[in-house]
Amino acid sequence: MDNEQKTNVSSQSKNTALDLLGTFGRNLGLTLYALFALFPLVWMIICSLKLDSEMYNTVFVFSPTLDNYKAVLLGTDYFKAFFQNLIVAGGAVILTIVAGVPAAYALARYDFKKKEDLAFQILSFKFAPEILVILPIFTIFQRIGLYDTYFGLIWVYQLITMPLVIWVVRGYFEEISVEIEQAAQLDGYRWFDIFFDILVPLIKPGLVASALLAFIFAWNSFTFPLVLSGFKIQTMTITSLRYIASDTVHYGQVAVASLVAVSPEIIACLFIQKHLVRGLSFGAVKG
Amino acid sequence: MARITLENITKKYKDKTALDNLSLDVLDNEFFVLFGPAGAGKTTLLKTIAGIEFPQEGLVRIDGAIVNLIEPMYRNVSMVFENYALYPHKNVYDNIASPMRSKLYRKDEAYIKEQVLRVTKMMRIDELLDRKPSQLSNGQRQRVALGRCLVRTPNVFLMDEPLAHLDAKLRHFMRGELKEMQSAFNSTTIYVTHDYMEAMSLADRIAILNSGHIEQLGTSLEMYYTPRNEFVARLFGEPEINIFSGEVEEASGQLGITALGQETIMPVEPDVAAVLRSGNHKRVHIGIRGADITFSFAEKLGWIRGSVYTNEPIGNKVIMVVDVKGTHIYLVAPNDTKAEIDKPVYISMNMKDAILFSAESAEYIIRHDARNVSRRRGANKAVG
Repeated sequence: MDNEQKTNVSSQSKNTALDLLGTFGRNLGLTLYALFALFPLVWMIICSLKLDSEMYNTVFVFSPTLDNYKAVLLGTDYFKAFFQNLIVAGGAVILTIVAGVPAAYALARYDFKKKEDLAFQILSFKFAPEILVILPIFTIFQRIGLYDTYFGLIWVYQLITMPLVIWVVRGYFEEISVEIEQAAQLDGYRWFDIFFDILVPLIKPGLVASALLAFIFAWNSFTFPLVLSGFKIQTMTITSLRYIASDTVHYGQVAVASLVAVSPEIIACLFIQKHLVRGLSFGAVKG
Repeated sequence: MARITLENITKKYKDKTALDNLSLDVLDNEFFVLFGPAGAGKTTLLKTIAGIEFPQEGLVRIDGAIVNLIEPMYRNVSMVFENYALYPHKNVYDNIASPMRSKLYRKDEAYIKEQVLRVTKMMRIDELLDRKPSQLSNGQRQRVALGRCLVRTPNVFLMDEPLAHLDAKLRHFMRGELKEMQSAFNSTTIYVTHDYMEAMSLADRIAILNSGHIEQLGTSLEMYYTPRNEFVARLFGEPEINIFSGEVEEASGQLGITALGQETIMPVEPDVAAVLRSGNHKRVHIGIRGADITFSFAEKLGWIRGSVYTNEPIGNKVIMVVDVKGTHIYLVAPNDTKAEIDKPVYISMNMKDAILFSAESAEYIIRHDARNVSRRRGANKAVG
């Protein structure tokens, strides 16, 4: 009896020790991964604080300076590019939501000829390399006067943003039982009310996540603005090139430009985390 | 409350015909039950009345007015969906209040509160008002769905298996509540169910649906005592009715039936004999319910000898299966019956209660005293 208890106790303490080791190991692993994942960002911050003269001969020990920030943020029209980028990427996402959510609804609910073909066609816009279509688009834009305009870029960005939003939101619509809409109809709601009061809250997690991802893709787009915009509109990705001069590369200034460029994305990602919580529509319909 | 009329409704999903030229007249304030196997078209029928499915042919009338082109929201019907169709992002209170908050049927919040509390109390979900549907069990969700339906005063209540996911005790209780409500509010209700007890206890009239058409329409006792064919007979009653074939024989001027490989002729009543003679029936199917068979473990002259196949006590009675030369006969025995497997047992069929079907078409031919039996039985005997 005593012996048994003793073995129980010792095995219990062994278990807790193992548990502790497991927790420790897990956290150690996660910490190492976090360092690994965040290091490029940290490296960029470090670079942004170095003078060009210290760029190659110091690692962590150097005399920090804000000259790069001054040069980029005050010396050039970098903020203009930032806001132009915001207009183009934001406008693209807004247009995508306005047109894409009804399209996703139609693809999820209605039965029409060649539906799957059409859905796949939309998805395939995402497969095509931008560089493949950029020359014809350039020629067309020149002819119809969309070259170097906000609308031209917003329009062409739909190739990046629309497929993503349509496919994610379509999946959410398909998950909502059609009977929920029918019940709302019988309760006396118009389609318009049903859409905004019942469907939109249910697709919200998917819509927010895919819209933010689409925003990031649009924000980062390089090929389209490089070819399709000129002097009037300059996005940040293009502006960052300016610090690579023919004789030298101002790495410090590139780092500052990049840091400012990624900041909206980092903020957006923090939002995605919160909204990625799914399972909202689960449980109301018999599974 | 309103009268619902369907005229020659045909509904097809691509190649599949869900409703086949179906006509139906549900009277004002009637509790009408649609009963039938899965895939018979019961749900489609309800949705056609609600206006969320459109028939290819035929007319739907609510109180005489053709509503084929009227949107579901303007038809003022209330429906319980089989999969509940609750709004996942709203709590129980808001789900049930939803029909009273739409622009069309708007009520003030005080009235809404009163009605929601009334209904949730009746459904015994008044403690769950703040929960989301995902936090409820299936039985609770079903009661919320039923509550959202009953909170209104529509033209007609359409209920698609509203009690299917409740436990037996609660189902029994809710059955009583629905029946009580029916008599209190004078509501027209069309109710879909799989459960024959539910159908029989609630219905003013029952329609048996099978692959898109109505097999039989009538009161529950008519279904039970004079089913139109073997399909309907098998749907009602537990254990399922025994149906086996027999030969019509005549001995010394008296018509009778032999069956189950026996030589004894079981005589039939004169009214049954007349119909068998005039129809010139030689082979028939005999349908007889377990409660109409008597048994004895002691040998009796003229009774059919068999052996006990299984003996299943189900609480208030025992279902005994007797094997007679390979045919299994289900009969209802008293609660205290104890029988070892393979023990010899003697059974006697009460031919007065037998229902005869045509051996070729499985259609109803005759039973003794058919005209009066359902009325008389209904008056002095509970069905079960």
